[in-house]
Amino acid sequence: MSEHHHEPAPMVDEVSDFEILEMAVRELAIEKGLFSAEDHRIWTEYVHTLGPTPAARLVAKAWLDPEYKNLCVTDGVEASKAVGVDWINSPPTHFGTPSDYCNLRVLEDTPTLKHVVVCTLCSCYPRPILGQSPEWYRTPNYRRRLVRWPRQVLAEFGLQLPSDVQIRVADSNQKTRYIVMPVRPAGTDGWSEDQLAEIVTRDCLIGVAVPKPGVTSNTMRPIHKAVHPVEHGHGH
Amino acid sequence: MSSSTREEVLRHLQSVGFVQPALHKQTQAPYPDEVDHTLYRAYTRSVHDVGGEADVPIRYEEKEEEQWELNTFATCECLAWRGVWNAEERRRRQNVDIGQTAYLGLPYYGRWLLTAARIMVDKQYVTLTELVNKIDEVKKRHEH
Repeated sequence: MSEHHHEPAPMVDEVSDFEILEMAVRELAIEKGLFSAEDHRIWTEYVHTLGPTPAARLVAKAWLDPEYKNLCVTDGVEASKAVGVDWINSPPTHFGTPSDYCNLRVLEDTPTLKHVVVCTLCSCYPRPILGQSPEWYRTPNYRRRLVRWPRQVLAEFGLQLPSDVQIRVADSNQKTRYIVMPVRPAGTDGWSEDQLAEIVTRDCLIGVAVPKPGVTSNTMRPIHKAVHPVEHGHGH
Repeated sequence: MSSSTREEVLRHLQSVGFVQPALHKQTQAPYPDEVDHTLYRAYTRSVHDVGGEADVPIRYEEKEEEQWELNTFATCECLAWRGVWNAEERRRRQNVDIGQTAYLGLPYYGRWLLTAARIMVDKQYVTLTELVNKIDEVKKRHEH
């Protein structure tokens, strides 16, 4: 690489090419009436409401109610309604989200079977019930390796599984999205739904971690900071 | 050509050279008889179909979202909501048509954004001139 490539890091107040193009595309689309500024605002607000909470609650409910667990495994879309997620008629479009379709599958782990989710072709993810996918989930690296070396990749996430536990990798696609229902851990007898939901983290729902009493957040990883981070509360 | 322009052109050509795909071959655009079935299949695959490809362990990180990334997501979804594109064509454009170099070389939402701009031009909702002028206008607005 020549010395010309060592440009200084952009100043914080500098506007990037992506930011310029983003504004240009959005403004042109609105000027041409392809969608309205209000559409864009409504959609952005909707994104702010998303997160892993409904999926965590679904798992906690299923741990406490065998009948509901059965519904989760046989009809994830129907089961989602109990945690406030309507895949088919949800706002803002009232016909579901354009890129998530409506076919959620809940993968039930057993003591000898561990599920983990990937999207080898892009980054398909059950957004309506689990929020936006983490950056690592979108990397070519995770997508390349998980389907071929799942045990090693899980170990890199800190999940070392005994050799008698079978690993099943679910490859998401445009139509079908997955969440993992892990085994309810020991030491949670008598816990309420709220208590149980707290230990079902996003990573547990993707399948790269398992729930543990006392652990209520994802494993600490380095965070790549944004230059101009999303301002919560107001869109743009 | 002024010397500053020449320098800019050289810098651009150098950057382009740097992002050329590594073909591990002396000649690009080979003779037809140099492409056997195996190579043909490799070149005509969809570039996003990466499952099973070899790679080394990396440090998996979280990332804070840029405001433009969220805006891009919303723009792409609104374009779909209002019928400008459907999920199939959008995926093909974002993941396959973009080509391997840009696919691997651009940020995740950078691909989305470029594709959103292209669909508007390709479907003749805006002309390329309108897009270029709008980009200039936005740039000027943000000049200090």
